[in-house]
Amino acid sequence: MTDEQTDPLRAKLERYIGKPLGSTTPTEAPDKVNLPMIRHWVDALDDRNPIYLDSEAAATTRYGEIVAPPAMLQTWTMPRPVIEGIAERGGAPNTSTENAIGALDKAGYSGSLATNSELEFERYLKVGEQLHSMIMLESISEQKSTAFGLGYFVTWVTTYTNDQDEVVGRQMFRVLKFKPANPKDNS
Amino acid sequence: MSNETRHPLRASDLAVGDSLPPFDLPVTSTVIVAGAIATRDFMPVHHDRDYAQAQGAPDIFMNILTTNGYVSRYISDWAGPESMQRKISIKLGGPAVPGQALKFTGQIISINRESDEYTIEVSVQARNDFGDHATGTVVLTLAGD
Repeated sequence: MTDEQTDPLRAKLERYIGKPLGSTTPTEAPDKVNLPMIRHWVDALDDRNPIYLDSEAAATTRYGEIVAPPAMLQTWTMPRPVIEGIAERGGAPNTSTENAIGALDKAGYSGSLATNSELEFERYLKVGEQLHSMIMLESISEQKSTAFGLGYFVTWVTTYTNDQDEVVGRQMFRVLKFKPANPKDNS
Repeated sequence: MSNETRHPLRASDLAVGDSLPPFDLPVTSTVIVAGAIATRDFMPVHHDRDYAQAQGAPDIFMNILTTNGYVSRYISDWAGPESMQRKISIKLGGPAVPGQALKFTGQIISINRESDEYTIEVSVQARNDFGDHATGTVVLTLAGD
């Protein structure tokens, strides 16, 4: 139960729950599933599963052709960042539409720490698929005292679809939005 | 560094309680930044030490997309290219920071056979000097043999 007297911010956040986080329509991935981004990821993580880059090897597997690493699901729809001012925005990639995260940033809860992630894959993605994502804000906790400072746990669920409106995957994500404690003030 | 697992892994050879070969990932600033950018995560805490420390973190730390990527890789290094991951669920603990290796371990917690396909659930743990960085489960399928 939210007490508006003791936590007006939490009361203000209530209206965001159960609503889209950010865009009210699915967001289109900036790029289709593509080999250059797969290669970049494969090299960065040194993942040598041949189904991601070797078409001959992939052809001998159940996949039949190159597929994207499943854990890249979220990568495809990451928003294009505006680098200038990203630190002042608490790491938010761009000045997004008014939403719960922005409201928390503005209220001083600019720190972000991911605490839980559940990725579900209906199938692996093929090169050339255009993804869309829709994010629904599932819940916001009461204010919590954490090792990082006072904060709120914010949970959202992203549904990923392709151009045929086929759901290819989902992700539940929980983030702690916290008010960074100034180490100098703690001594 | 790769796991020494023979492929193809035979589903019929697996048993609940089996341990996966452990894997040590030497975490460096480069590993963290390379993962952050490859997953298109430009949050300063994943590449800017001053910024991360101002947020109360000991150093830059690995983003969750990269952690998911390494969990996925840990499973497919073991299960091979015929395996298919259906679910990766993780709880994040302490940060993965430069200079502290991440030690991945895993154990089979369930095996279900349906016609010619096995569904296998594996518990996964990635630890460093702080303790658990990520703990959770991965569900994958493997064709029968």
